[in-house]
Amino acid sequence: MPDALYQLVYYSRNHIAGDQAAFTANVENILAASRRNNVRDGITGALLFNNGCFAQVLEGPLGVVEAAFERIQQDERHGEVSLLALSPIETRSFPNWAMGYVGSSAAQAASFSAIGQGSGFDLSLLGSEEIHRILRDLAVEEESAAA
Amino acid sequence: MTGLAKNVWVSPDLPGFDAILDSLPDPVLLLEAQGAILWCNTAANRAFEQVDPSLPVSAIFPRLTQSLPAVTAPVHLQLESGHQKFEATLTRLDANFIILTARAPQSTSLTRDDVDELTGAAKRNALMRAIDGELAGARQFAVHCIDLDRFKVINDTLGHGVGDLLLQKVADRLKSACRAGDMVARLGGDEFVILQRDVPSSEEAERLSARIVDLVGRTYVLSGHTINIGASVGVALREERQQARDLLRDADLALYEAKRAGKGRFRVFEPDMQVSLRERRELEIDLRRALALRQFRLNYQPFVELEGNNIRGFEALLRWQHPVRGNVPPLDFIPMAEETGLIVKIGEWVLRTACEAAVSWPENLTIAVNVSPLQFKSDNLLDTVEATLKETGLAANRLELEITESALLDDTENVLATLHALRGLGVKISMDDFGTGYSSLSYLQKFPFDKIKIDRSFVVGESSDSQAILKAVAGLGSSLGIAITAEGVETSDQLEHIRSQNCTHVQGYFTGRPMNDAAVADLLQSQMRKNTNA
Ligand SMILES: Cc1cc2nc3c(=O)[nH]c(=O)nc-3n(C[C@H](O)[C@H](O)[C@H](O)COP(=O)(O)O)c2cc1C
Repeated sequence: MPDALYQLVYYSRNHIAGDQAAFTANVENILAASRRNNVRDGITGALLFNNGCFAQVLEGPLGVVEAAFERIQQDERHGEVSLLALSPIETRSFPNWAMGYVGSSAAQAASFSAIGQGSGFDLSLLGSEEIHRILRDLAVEEESAAA
Repeated sequence: MTGLAKNVWVSPDLPGFDAILDSLPDPVLLLEAQGAILWCNTAANRAFEQVDPSLPVSAIFPRLTQSLPAVTAPVHLQLESGHQKFEATLTRLDANFIILTARAPQSTSLTRDDVDELTGAAKRNALMRAIDGELAGARQFAVHCIDLDRFKVINDTLGHGVGDLLLQKVADRLKSACRAGDMVARLGGDEFVILQRDVPSSEEAERLSARIVDLVGRTYVLSGHTINIGASVGVALREERQQARDLLRDADLALYEAKRAGKGRFRVFEPDMQVSLRERRELEIDLRRALALRQFRLNYQPFVELEGNNIRGFEALLRWQHPVRGNVPPLDFIPMAEETGLIVKIGEWVLRTACEAAVSWPENLTIAVNVSPLQFKSDNLLDTVEATLKETGLAANRLELEITESALLDDTENVLATLHALRGLGVKISMDDFGTGYSSLSYLQKFPFDKIKIDRSFVVGESSDSQAILKAVAGLGSSLGIAITAEGVETSDQLEHIRSQNCTHVQGYFTGRPMNDAAVADLLQSQMRKNTNA
């Protein structure tokens, strides 16, 4: 059972204080640690930042997903972590992403604001499936843009 | 110092600097200004798995990366290497070199016997030694007593295996909230204590307490289960205290207050807490005697069936008359009775007394008796009810047990089994205070209650919300075939309003106040006369 593939989805509130530069430096640091650890552990997924909230999908063998989530839970850079889903999956949705980040490039920002602005988009109001879908769609776009 | 050092330089048969530095118990590293390791002593070699000259120091302490060039004055840092924490000091020698000294936290002086095998936390003896050590010194420090809320439920429902894993993760989180010199101890079960060293102000202690409440309360994922528990924390600062025992006692008192205030929070010890503890102790002593001294009484409040306007029974209400305290309101002593478990004995007395009274009433009248969640936990509720009915000779269908939603919160399966067994005896079951809990509706699905008593707040409430809820619940009752009692009816307007809904019964001051058994007898007499006259 620890080896069965699972997907975990959560959102949380940003606790990084300071200006945009401090935020960017912290997110880079998070992504660097994530990519290093996730490649080692066989975890894939995507991280989204918007409107003061993080949302993340982690997928991989249950044991390592649990361990990664425990590290993430203890991270002071965010709080009020709400677990939205923890469920077995057949296949990965982000097979090529050790930890994709959505919220950096101009293209992403644009597609984001399209989803968001008018509707008062708030991650905390989304369900796990919606977060999962948004992240997947944006990831697919990103990959085709890079190709 | 400088004079001495100068003299030392010239002596020819001194050991080399390497030998001196190697003899130190703590790791020392010489770094090049950009962070490359140039040299290290033996203690460093022992402490860190691999110290290779030319490796960057971040290979040992991942957090030490770009900040080195900025070091001018000595910098003190909390660093981690592997999973070990260190207190490190960076000192600039000159433009080219930096010295890093690291000290393992004091808690490394623990032996194997001092450490709890499951969690790696210190055991009680080691904690007491460490507190004594701090008391011998001059610095301020704090003790945090931590209790996990809902741990027992997790342990009981998901098993000890998961419970043990959870304790490990909790211990990890506590360690991660602490600084290198602090000590995390487990005193058994789900009781943890943190010794926080070097606490300059009570704000520092509060910061750690708040962090513990936050961190331990975050969701856990264990073996595919999502688990939510909470932490309550009581904290006491050293201040003038001389004894480890006193400090732990006061922190424990603060913990007790934190739990009483609703769990999932922390409290700092205040001298007032001792006063309120003493008051509670006195209340407890009085309460323990109350049964033997026959200070309890029952009052009975009628409930009326709307169709026909007839009294259908009475609810038994507990009263405590204390020679000095006077009439003690139930809200002032029931929580204590539950906390101490006295509620079980008191509940038995209530049941017996109420059934004895009801036997003398006309056979169409029922007696309603409140049952505390604690009585369900005590395991012998079913036996008690069965025995009481037999001994008093009351027909089972004349007894109505009222339970609140909180009875169903924990250990739901067992409670439901007991409810079904009681129903099997012929006893009626009603849900009290409906609407005040979190998920009253979901409990209606779990058990076919005979009656729902809608909380008075919806009956007297004039907001459109309470009106809508009243209407919805009454409608629900009539479609499910459950009797609905509206509680707390005080005016004729309210009564008329209730009539227009689908409520079947009312209970409140307007239709009858709580009264003693003599008054019940009078009331029943006059009712009979009225009925025969009519
Ligand atoms: C929003 C957020 C998302 C994170 N995602 C991951 C992740 O996917 N994988 C990971 O290993 N660490 C992640 N982290 C970082 C961890 O909290 C932790 O800092 C890191 O795992 C420590 O790694 P290290 O011990 O290798 O330095 C995340 C942190 C935050 C705040």
